Amino acid sequence: MSALLATERVHREYRVGEERVRAVRGITLEVASGEHVALVGPSGCGKSSLLNLLGGIDHPTAGRVLFRGADVALMRDRALTRFRLLHIGFVFQRFYLMPALTAAENIALPMAEAGMPARERRARAMELLRYVGLDGRARHRPSQLSGGEQQRVAIARALANAPDVVLADEPTGELDARTGADIIALFQRLNADGTALVLVTHDEQLARAARRVVHMRDGVIVTSDDGR
Amino acid sequence: MTALVLIALLQFTTPPRTIAVDARLAAAAGLRVGDRVVVAAQPGAAGDTVVVGAILARRADPSEVTRNAYDVRMHLDQLQSLIRYGDRVDRFAVATRDSSATRVALRAINDAAFGFQAWPSREIAAQTSETFRVVSRFHRAIGVITIVASAIFLLCILLLKVEERRRDVAALRLIGLSRSTVLRSVVLEAAVVSVLGSALGVLIGWGASGLVNAYYQAFYDTPLRFSIITTGIVLFAVTLSLVLGLAAGALAALRLVRTPPLTLLGR
Amino acid sequence: MRFTLALATLGRHRGRTVLAILGVAVASAMLLDMVMLSSGLRASFRDLLLSRGFQLRLSPKGTLPFDTDATIGGAAAMVSTLRALPDVVAVSPVLGGQLHIPREHGVITGFALGVEPRVQGDYELLSGHDPRRPDEMVANDDLLRAAGARPGDTLTAAAGYDAQLRALAGTRRLVITGRARFLYLSAGQPAAALPLSTLQNMRGADATDAVSLIMVRLRDDAIVEAARRRIQSALPRVEVNSTSEAMARVDQRLSYFRQLSFILGAVSLVVGFLLVTTLVTVSVNERLGEIAVMRAIGVSRVHVVEQVVLESGAIVLGGAVLGLALGLVTARYLNSILSSFPGLPAAIDFFLFQPRAVWAALGLLALCGVAASVYPAWRAAVHPVAGALREEAVA
Repeated sequence: MSALLATERVHREYRVGEERVRAVRGITLEVASGEHVALVGPSGCGKSSLLNLLGGIDHPTAGRVLFRGADVALMRDRALTRFRLLHIGFVFQRFYLMPALTAAENIALPMAEAGMPARERRARAMELLRYVGLDGRARHRPSQLSGGEQQRVAIARALANAPDVVLADEPTGELDARTGADIIALFQRLNADGTALVLVTHDEQLARAARRVVHMRDGVIVTSDDGR
Repeated sequence: MTALVLIALLQFTTPPRTIAVDARLAAAAGLRVGDRVVVAAQPGAAGDTVVVGAILARRADPSEVTRNAYDVRMHLDQLQSLIRYGDRVDRFAVATRDSSATRVALRAINDAAFGFQAWPSREIAAQTSETFRVVSRFHRAIGVITIVASAIFLLCILLLKVEERRRDVAALRLIGLSRSTVLRSVVLEAAVVSVLGSALGVLIGWGASGLVNAYYQAFYDTPLRFSIITTGIVLFAVTLSLVLGLAAGALAALRLVRTPPLTLLGR
Repeated sequence: MRFTLALATLGRHRGRTVLAILGVAVASAMLLDMVMLSSGLRASFRDLLLSRGFQLRLSPKGTLPFDTDATIGGAAAMVSTLRALPDVVAVSPVLGGQLHIPREHGVITGFALGVEPRVQGDYELLSGHDPRRPDEMVANDDLLRAAGARPGDTLTAAAGYDAQLRALAGTRRLVITGRARFLYLSAGQPAAALPLSTLQNMRGADATDAVSLIMVRLRDDAIVEAARRRIQSALPRVEVNSTSEAMARVDQRLSYFRQLSFILGAVSLVVGFLLVTTLVTVSVNERLGEIAVMRAIGVSRVHVVEQVVLESGAIVLGGAVLGLALGLVTARYLNSILSSFPGLPAAIDFFLFQPRAVWAALGLLALCGVAASVYPAWRAAVHPVAGALREEAVA
């Protein structure tokens, strides 16, 4: 499989008060199209920082982040934003839905940004809601949805513009075990349908569902086993 | 013959009478004390030669502010003769010993004389100051509108600032501080902001008042003070902003402490 | 979508939104009133001066019309000279004075205008006819009410009254031939108009061949200034004022109100600006995480700024509409206060509603609202995404 997303000796350092934190130290990683990768490791090992670098929402201090061979870090903000809009889907631990919008409107938000006409947006939003099993919740606001339902809406939003890869940061972190299992199943279905996945997780079950598990500690990759 | 010569001599040797002119007229006409001028009742008519005996400074009289007329003071009999007024005057001004004497004098004059009316000066002033009463009413209306507007702004901004502290309030409640402690601390902050804001406002108002006076005194060439800041005005403004600030702070703080902390954190 | 999000976001904090709209409404009401005040008086006065088409006014040297009791002598010759000028269409001489009408309950005093009825420009006939004969007059409702008279009645009127001797001077019996509305008099002032020669005779020697004012109508507005200069040089002992000069003189006397309107208008704009800036700053600070997520899912910086500006725009729009209504009400109230200036013509308005003024005020406010929100919006849009998400997670 050819590399869809890759990092080459990428570093990320930032200051926290007087201290200099080296969150990512010279990591080289490749994610192929359609691959399902889990990033695991103790808290503070740099998993989320690596995910942010992969998704272009953070800039490396050194090294390169490549999407289909193009260096993401060299893109100007407009191109980078466009890259995220069309090629990356983000799922966060705390869902981060717009509280003022309904479920359908939250899903339609990235489509509107991409210039999709309103009728098409509505249709696709309903389609995605059906995909995640929430077609009866289109008009509900986030405050009217359970944690699991909110996360499904967040996943549907991440799929709005049919991205090449979905990056999820602790997607089951705020959910109970049963709801978490539902989300895991949904991710597996996503991957089976051809979307590449990179998940950061503490959840062993979620990690086991991945085809490749990358273990990190102190900003470096310790092991990377693909379970084969 | 002798009489004629005497009269001619008298006219030649009698010095001209003096007049007083106001400072604006003196400046406009380039007059100084000692200058000789001719005053006449009609343009081009023969008049009297007089000497400028004094130049009068502008008074802090509101009625003079927008008037562009020039003032000249002459001896009564000379003016009566000049404008052919005969033995007539427009008014008498009477000074009395005290207020009871004023009342007695008023009664006596109005009972005795006919055809004219005596008034206390205070009443004349009230009647002739209608223009300023209109301006005062206008200023008061603008003042009320400004106070209402300021009150709304104050409420809005303080409510916003207290709402901004929702997470801090949530954290304080979660670690065990009581509602009343949190409420007191937020209200105290609102009070400090109100006090400091009021003090700054008083300073700005005092400065602005000085600027207004300086500008309008120069513009209208008058010593009149257009803006006066009194202790009463300062007290009113400070009290109002304190009351409003405390009310806004208390209202917003009450809302926050009554909301469950986790809800404040968005969970 | 952005509009939907903006309205939905505002709806989440209804109390705050309502207060903000109220604040903007008050600021825009004040701004509208000040814009109306700055231009209203001028426009109103100009309309009044030109209402009868007279572009020039001649008054005694150094005075404005009816500013003093001074009169212009040799009026008949002056009027003939003016009428002979080729550019002059009409000349209306006017003499002012007092009219004393003895009634059972006392003497009623009103203002008298001696005019030439066929060219007069001082009153509008409401009923009846102009005074065509020397012993006729028209009166306004205030005089008729005070004298308890009606058109058709004959009154004894005098031009002079010695209060000391209680003696009337220059008495004449006059028939009321009509009701009129006097254009330049203040509200409630009793007044009458009679033939010029009648009033001159009634006033006696000091008013023989004298007038207080001569109004001139020219055939073309374009030649007003040239005609003014020509007449001024031909008649040096009078003051010749065009409408624009008269307005300039009035401007000078009432410049206080223009300056006040400018200052208060500016203060309203500044306060409105501060209110919107504070509101937007607090609002975006609360939503930095939300904004970071929008940026993470691909919404561009420009669109984030647009979103925030739309929200403040909605508040400004709501406030402006409410402020327009509020401003009209307060303008009416303030106008009623200023209209009671002694001696001010009843037809003058200080606060005149002009659509141009409304657009100017709303335009200024909109500009202010946008300017106030752009900077805080931009700061939020350029806030590092990962940093904001991390802060949100920690919070």
